[in-house]
Amino acid sequence: MSKHDKQEMIVRHKLFDRICHWFIVAAGLVTFLTGFSFFYPSFQWMGAIAGTPQLAQFVHPVAGLMMCLPLMLMLVRYYKHNKWEKHDLAWMLAIKDVMFENEDKIPPIGHYNPGQKVLFRAFVLTSITLTVTGLIMWQPYFAPYFSATVVGWAIVLHAISALIMLIFVMVHFWMATWVEGSVTGMLYGKVSKAWCRKHHPVMLDEHSDVEKH
Amino acid sequence: MASQDIIRRSGTSEMTPAAKGRNSSEKVAKLFDATKCNGCKACQVSCSEWNDLREEVGSFQGSYQNPMSLSGQCWTLMEFHEVMESNKLRWQFTHSACMHCADPACLTACSTSGAIIQHANGVVDFDSDKCIGCGYCASACPFDVPKIDPKDNKAYKCTMCSDRLAVGLEPACVKSCTTGALRYGTREDMLFYSQKRVEELQQKGFPNAGLYNPEGVGGTGMMMILHDINQPESYNMPDNPQIPLSLTLWQDWVKPLGTMGILATAAVACLHKITVGRNIVEEDQPGYQPPAEEAKQEEEDDK
Repeated sequence: MSKHDKQEMIVRHKLFDRICHWFIVAAGLVTFLTGFSFFYPSFQWMGAIAGTPQLAQFVHPVAGLMMCLPLMLMLVRYYKHNKWEKHDLAWMLAIKDVMFENEDKIPPIGHYNPGQKVLFRAFVLTSITLTVTGLIMWQPYFAPYFSATVVGWAIVLHAISALIMLIFVMVHFWMATWVEGSVTGMLYGKVSKAWCRKHHPVMLDEHSDVEKH
Repeated sequence: MASQDIIRRSGTSEMTPAAKGRNSSEKVAKLFDATKCNGCKACQVSCSEWNDLREEVGSFQGSYQNPMSLSGQCWTLMEFHEVMESNKLRWQFTHSACMHCADPACLTACSTSGAIIQHANGVVDFDSDKCIGCGYCASACPFDVPKIDPKDNKAYKCTMCSDRLAVGLEPACVKSCTTGALRYGTREDMLFYSQKRVEELQQKGFPNAGLYNPEGVGGTGMMMILHDINQPESYNMPDNPQIPLSLTLWQDWVKPLGTMGILATAAVACLHKITVGRNIVEEDQPGYQPPAEEAKQEEEDDK
């Protein structure tokens, strides 16, 4: 190890996953803005991204599927990095040190830290419930096949799941912009070895024989 | 011209109520006396005449009822219920249309500002121009009244002929009723009349006769006199209609709690970023020099 490896880069996100991620961001933006226009009628202007309120009603479920289906694919591809491990608990207990950047007190973790693994689980759960309840309440195509009671409960569950997903997306955005280098990693795929040593030290071992560059 | 007679507007905050300056008009009601109805369907025909509705001709389903349910093209339906009692068959007719609830679940559920409104006289009306066809009203209504028309993906239902009421006329169905089973007037008058009529029925051998004006939805703008108030189901009316629990949960709990959650997350994130500061990898910063000791150590390692 010497200063020669100062900017030595390592692949963290493959091209396919990066395209998936930013496609989900674009579709999710449309979905959440139009969804807001129904959830908060006073803020109907948010749905104007779709043109008219009627178009927002048409676009929302389509954009929702375009968000959820690639998200599910990405979650399947990232499952291997998100298995819960024994030492994850220690990191969770040291969450205060993580948030306040007391680096010497943070237990080392791999490709994803337990916080990210919780986010992963939240996205698995919400993407499934949003898709299922969204199909049940989808007017005029699918809702007529379900009873009013079922549709009524689908609407509440859809709202709860969307709120949970939104809050996790906000945390995701907050953490990604706080931990500098993460957004570049998702944009161009590579992070520096120094970044890995600081944030995901075990990842260096995981990657030592593959994807090294 | 501003609609001065609107007292409630869907998707509007309670802090910014609709104009209330001129809403001194009295509550009105339509009264359907099932014990006087002979199922002639004049109400159904006049409804489709006045509102220019033409439901497609269907096929025979084993009943005089036609079509079999309300739809975007059928806002008033004569329902034929066949009831067997002591080996005798009889029909019970229901004038099926919007009940105009005092506390309308459809209006509470509506996703769009002003697409569902309640007039000062109590009538619940849909503004089809604003409707986006989300179907929330259809899933919320305890009487299964609003229907989405597949032609334009908008919700429709009986307006109690609000256009006729506005110029001092009675609803078209009431105008055309052949037996006097349908009445229209102030809610107070209709309650007074129905009390007399129910007493009369009780004396004539219908001890369970009563007025269907369910409290679960705050009372209705269409009330029904039934020969047996304990069996509204035999008229295809729910026994105890309520605003659905899912709707109350969604509007009164999920919305405020969710909003608080979003705002709290944003606040914590901002505070955290401002107080803790940037989380940067020092080695990656331009012009970074390793600390002297470390550099020496590294040089030794290299050797």
